[in-house]
Amino acid sequence: MKYLMLIYGNQEKWASVRADQWSEVIARQDAFNRKYRETGELIGAYGLADEIQARLIRRENGQPAVTDGPYLETKEYIASFYLLDCESEERAHQIAADMPFADVDPVEVWPILHEAKPDL
Amino acid sequence: MTVSRGEVEGLLRELAPQVLTALVRRNGQFHLCEDASQEALLAAAQQWPSGGLPDNPRGWLITVASRRLTDQIRSEQSRRAREEQIAVATPPSELLGPPADAEHADRDDSLALLFGCCHPHLSPPSQIALTLRAVGGLSTAQIAAAFGVPEATMAQRISRAKQTIAGAGFDFSMPSGAERTERLRAVLHVLYLVFNEGYTASEGDTLTVPALSQEAIRLTRWLHRLLPDDGEVAGLLALMLLTDARRTARTRPDGSLVPLAEQDRSRWDQAKIAEGVALVTGALPRGEVGPYQLQAAIAAVHDEATTMADTDWPQILGLYDLLELAAPNPFTALNRAVAVAMVRGPAAGLEVIAALEADKRMARHHRLIAARAYLRELAGDTAAAAADYLDAARRATSLPERRYLALQASRLAPSG
Repeated sequence: MKYLMLIYGNQEKWASVRADQWSEVIARQDAFNRKYRETGELIGAYGLADEIQARLIRRENGQPAVTDGPYLETKEYIASFYLLDCESEERAHQIAADMPFADVDPVEVWPILHEAKPDL
Repeated sequence: MTVSRGEVEGLLRELAPQVLTALVRRNGQFHLCEDASQEALLAAAQQWPSGGLPDNPRGWLITVASRRLTDQIRSEQSRRAREEQIAVATPPSELLGPPADAEHADRDDSLALLFGCCHPHLSPPSQIALTLRAVGGLSTAQIAAAFGVPEATMAQRISRAKQTIAGAGFDFSMPSGAERTERLRAVLHVLYLVFNEGYTASEGDTLTVPALSQEAIRLTRWLHRLLPDDGEVAGLLALMLLTDARRTARTRPDGSLVPLAEQDRSRWDQAKIAEGVALVTGALPRGEVGPYQLQAAIAAVHDEATTMADTDWPQILGLYDLLELAAPNPFTALNRAVAVAMVRGPAAGLEVIAALEADKRMARHHRLIAARAYLRELAGDTAAAAADYLDAARRATSLPERRYLALQASRLAPSG
């Protein structure tokens, strides 16, 4: 089963991390990523750029028309996303709880739709 | 003699476990042997379709794999002595076909290989990946494609599984007594999971994206040949065949699902049904009736009915009663509730479902809500049925199932 894990945040939150703590923060996240890549459960882990870099694209007269994004005004935006393929929902929850900062901020877990065709 | 790519592929998959067991028997070191065996299979897959089959394909593969193994050990700067040991230990007899009396040893080795791949220290996804590669002879790329994950992810899963096997001291011996029964149960569960793994969305190029249900049937058939007297192995093979017989009738050309009640039964595969029925009727009287035989018996009753109404529901209910005793499971209980409704009416079935709702996780599961929707519709409570179908659709994670449930909801609640 595949799952998407999302981490949210904002500039205020990132600014609250002291400069001398960043290397430790990154090391912890790298260790998490390595651990679950090695089990064959983490398909991909990606951090997103700041929300000022998000764009909204529409097609106008066959051409891309670009405006500043994101689409929704919220207090926090997606900061990173992780794609998992694991045995069960319980296992996905276990992995999410093992994220470095899951004790501080929640990790959002979404099941991904699949094409299985059960015999009804 | 020229052979097609498909023929070569089929032959290689048959030979894969034989080559690997021959290598491991001589050298131990499962993880290195597995790599070497895969490389030999890949070399054959590239060379044989254009160059033709060698006189003795099995001997060719063992020779090439042994050479690769030697290369690997050399490149890993392992002890020189081990290299020589491998070179010396290749008896010329291995280059010929196996003698008739070697069948027994081969059988035990093949079984031990399968048992090792389904080692209890491995997670089910790892057991599945390793079994498909080491016993099924599929490449990492093929397994990755079948599961819709990148090859690197699948390679990591297989490599991790092999390390675990090495760490657990995989000694290539067969467990005995109660442990053997327990381990065989794990093997059957892995084959069952492979069969049910419906990620293969289309009937595409089966060489690139193998159909896992077909692979599960092939491996279970092979296991049944090795253990012809085991009732549960026969039961699992029967269950797979009896379920697979309905495959083409189960989906429309656009990929949408057709429920059992609406399937065109003339499209069911009668040859598979006959084989499945023969297997399960042969196994049942032998005693020790297990969950796979019971599930196969239920599938057989469905497959032998000409319509939904003609189905022998009292017999199905009786089999579900036995199955609940043999292997209690909330989904078995849910299927039984539907059988109860078919025998005693929807109200009786809904009562059984209400009891299952005591389990909070079950109460929120789309299968329970979908079954309740079906029974509420039968009972004439259309509004509640529509609401349940919609709720079930929202909770389903299979896209075809979700579409089917949403369609039922809109059928019952026509919007103005």
